[in-house]
Amino acid sequence: MQKPPSTVPTPPRWAYLLTAVYSLVWLAAWASWLWVPWERMWLVALQTITFACALPVASGWLLWCWRGANPSRVNRFLSATGAYVLLWQLALFSAGHLAWSAAASLLGRLGTVGLFLIGLSWTIWAIDRAGQRRELARRLAHAEQRPLEAMPTHDAGADAAARTSDPLDPQAWYYGRHNAKLNQSITALGAYSIAFVLIVLFFSQLGGCRDLYEMPAGGGQQQQLAQTVKVQKIIKKKFVVNPFSAISFKVPPIDEVKLQLTEITEHAYTVGYGAGAGAGFAGGSKQGKVRFIRLEYAGGDWDQDFGIGADVNMLVEYGVRTSQKVAERTESRTIAQLKSFPAEKSPPMVYLTGQRNISLSDSEIKVLREYLLEKHGMIFGDNGGSGHFHNQFLGMMRRVLPNVRPTRIPLDDTIHRIPYQLPFLPYVAPHGGKDALGWRVDGRLVCYYHPGDIGDAWTDDHSGVAPEVYEACYQLGTNIIFYAHTEYSKWLASRKRNK
Amino acid sequence: MAGIPKTQQVSQVERGSVDRSGWSRQPDCRRQPTSRRRTWSWRLAGLTCLLMLLNGGGAVAERLDELPLDRWKELREVERYQLNIAEKYYREKNWKVALAEYEKFLTLYERSVGAPYGQLKWSLCQVQLRKLNTAIKEGFQSVIDYWPESPEAIAAAYYIGQSYKDMGEVRKAKTAYQAVLDEHPQHLAAALAAVDFVDLTMIDDDIKKRLELWKLLTFEMPRTRESQRACETASRSLAAYDFEFAAFDEGVAALATTYSEPQLPTQVVSVVRAPLGRLVADDKRRLQGEKLADQTAAWLQAQAPAAGTTDEAKQAARQHGYLVADVRTAAREAEQVAETYEQILSKLGNDDETLGRYAAWLRSNSQFAEARRQYARFTDAIEGQRLIGDSFRQEQNYDAAISAYQANLARDVENGARWHEQIAATYRSAKKYNEAIAVYEQLLKSDPQQTEKWLWATATTYRDAGKYKEAIGYYRQCNNFPNNYSEMAACHRAMKDYQEAIILYGQIVGGAPNSAAWAMLQIGHTQEQAGNKELAIKAFQQVCKSYPKASYASQAHAHLQNKYKITVTLGGGTDK
Repeated sequence: MQKPPSTVPTPPRWAYLLTAVYSLVWLAAWASWLWVPWERMWLVALQTITFACALPVASGWLLWCWRGANPSRVNRFLSATGAYVLLWQLALFSAGHLAWSAAASLLGRLGTVGLFLIGLSWTIWAIDRAGQRRELARRLAHAEQRPLEAMPTHDAGADAAARTSDPLDPQAWYYGRHNAKLNQSITALGAYSIAFVLIVLFFSQLGGCRDLYEMPAGGGQQQQLAQTVKVQKIIKKKFVVNPFSAISFKVPPIDEVKLQLTEITEHAYTVGYGAGAGAGFAGGSKQGKVRFIRLEYAGGDWDQDFGIGADVNMLVEYGVRTSQKVAERTESRTIAQLKSFPAEKSPPMVYLTGQRNISLSDSEIKVLREYLLEKHGMIFGDNGGSGHFHNQFLGMMRRVLPNVRPTRIPLDDTIHRIPYQLPFLPYVAPHGGKDALGWRVDGRLVCYYHPGDIGDAWTDDHSGVAPEVYEACYQLGTNIIFYAHTEYSKWLASRKRNK
Repeated sequence: MAGIPKTQQVSQVERGSVDRSGWSRQPDCRRQPTSRRRTWSWRLAGLTCLLMLLNGGGAVAERLDELPLDRWKELREVERYQLNIAEKYYREKNWKVALAEYEKFLTLYERSVGAPYGQLKWSLCQVQLRKLNTAIKEGFQSVIDYWPESPEAIAAAYYIGQSYKDMGEVRKAKTAYQAVLDEHPQHLAAALAAVDFVDLTMIDDDIKKRLELWKLLTFEMPRTRESQRACETASRSLAAYDFEFAAFDEGVAALATTYSEPQLPTQVVSVVRAPLGRLVADDKRRLQGEKLADQTAAWLQAQAPAAGTTDEAKQAARQHGYLVADVRTAAREAEQVAETYEQILSKLGNDDETLGRYAAWLRSNSQFAEARRQYARFTDAIEGQRLIGDSFRQEQNYDAAISAYQANLARDVENGARWHEQIAATYRSAKKYNEAIAVYEQLLKSDPQQTEKWLWATATTYRDAGKYKEAIGYYRQCNNFPNNYSEMAACHRAMKDYQEAIILYGQIVGGAPNSAAWAMLQIGHTQEQAGNKELAIKAFQQVCKSYPKASYASQAHAHLQNKYKITVTLGGGTDK
């Protein structure tokens, strides 16, 4: 049966030109998305438009190449590859902006695997094609010299004479005499895999170099929030004192005190640190925001309740309670990525939770140590659900800071007092006991460990705990974030002075 | 004064609870008649004398958080009364009330001799309430600032260091401890500071400072009843360090500061064993270990008691021989261990203790046949036979073990129950449950005085045999609630009779408050096994809600989240 003629024309010349221009714009948008740390509305809008244009561009080329008048197999697969890259990045960008962190993470991994396989297919095709061309050229040359011997017979002496050192030629001497094609394929696979890994590493490192954390600019006082007081009634007190009493007694001049507090006390200061205007921190920047970064680690469930649940609620609560600028969404970083933050632009605090194993390599341990000690960071650990995690966390910290012992953090410690005075330590379930533990270096808490799943109290349903408990959990979270940022701000100020 | 709110100062006046004579009018303590007061004073004086005699005439309080008796005497009656109330709550660990009572004491009797003590105890209450910063800044420091000459000021200086240590402020703690050591080197506070300081040197592995502190505690610190333990520990640690680094004589000298001549060899061996074990286990330092073993053995030989023919002299010589054998055992010198025991036996004659030790060492080296040969030489044949039986059990040769116990049964008819129990236990180890049950049933008849024990053993054996109905029957006859109920419930669960199990767990919840959280959790698991998902969820949530402080709440919370993906677990609590 004859195939009906295609209704789709071949792509016009302007399409090639437009696609080339679009490719350049797309690359610029992609680079800015990956490596520019600050978020401006106009930049996000430009990125969104550019990535969204991928849909018509990819669709057009797929249509031309698959349903066009003169479709070739190479063009088909070339267009499919281009469309894959464009649509994959569009999906990643969308998931990131919709704060679907788990989906973004999954898309990132699956997409990379897909890209690897597509690249591998193209590599094999190219090598095979190049090999065929060389074989054909060799035969033609041989036929010109001795036409009768150009028959496809296997002559070892002739093969040996034809051996080269060209890696695209299966007859290259280092592929051996037997299974030369197989050896060439294995070599190609190995070389391609190494090159792919190196490229991925290069891009991830390049991206990390530009990862910055900037605190919101401003100032404030590191003080306890004033308690709300409302005096309802003033009672005139009378005292009967026996002047002959054997007790040394001094009547306080209480009558001189005029209690006139008839209104609820209001905040008389700004929550922050430094002399700047507005709630924020000295050493911050205008575009800076308080961000909530969760630490990714191997072996367990680092992403427990990650996404729109607990972390975001805490971040929003922090913003409302302190009037400081906060990020729109929460983030996660691997320990390796933590290394990429420069010294004075690294996150003051990272959050680590889970209920299973924590498996860290020696290099990751080193990165964490450097983050805590040299970059003045802080880990906020939260036991997400087991006694096992408690031991895992303590074991991890023993490796990170072998010369620091965990101690129970007193209730009147700065971290439990400012901005909220906590009369008790709240918890959802006592997975790791009932005491908050702290690792202190030079008087500063470099790690705060909450034993009882504080993150669950931050979720929308607050895990059903009593209001005073989840309110205290928000207050504790606020205190910890504030403590980390204040200490970081102090450190920045001292470094500035020393310079 | 720091730490004393003014409202507290007026509170006593407001309530009119202080009268002319200074007696507090507490609801539980009315004014006492003069005669009773006098009696009480006499009793106190008598107690003071007794304690002074016990302390060798010294009137200094031995503990840092206790007021010396001579200063108790200096207090006025009213002051003593108030302080006693505070002390009572302090002893009862009711820290909040004790804190308030000390504060009241300080408000009322600011100029009292006991005021620094009251302030110190107020601070210690703050420490217990986990307000260490308040304790340091408003408590201990106030003692030092307002009463610098008082004995409590020294204690406060030490407690500042301890509080810093507990907070993880290592540098500040070290500074505080060093100040105590420099300013009051002979005081008990210095001994305690040195002990804590040693612990801090472990963190940064400052061996030089640690050695300095151990030497201070061992050789220079006066030994009192309270400091004795710290000094003893330090001397042992110093000796262990010296032994490990080839300074045997120094190690012995350190121990000699604590132990007198008859105890010294035993203590030297007890301390030398650990470093000796470490040295011989390390291939690089094995020679050093062997040298240490030889040195210790030679020293023990030099310390050996003079030979004699009396039983006491022989016993002393044997004990000495055991020490040599212990050293050789620690050095893993098997030939010399055997040789030492053989020498003891040949020189001092057969003795059950020596044979027993020898055989125990042989058993630890899996030389069971040789061990049994030694047991067979026992003068006390019944005990020897028991040990033979035990060695067969260790070897898992159960038939031979039973034969050995049965031989004892024939010899020692009076203690038949003991041997029957051993036989039954051996049958259980061999998983011959029917035979074991038969023996237990026989014991139930023949030994009614221990019925409870045999009922439990029979029930447990039935359970192990998988005969749950019979096990439940026997558990029901036991009186050790709630253990028997939990076992019965476990048997019902094994029989898939979940409702019965839930009823039994419910009875534990109602009748045993200490096991209620566990039982409620088990109800959840049982409902889950029975396929009642909703009831299981309710039970787990009940654990979280009713027992939020129990570790079972943690398990229930995690189970609800992981298995049922339920976040509303209804738990939550505080550390109050």
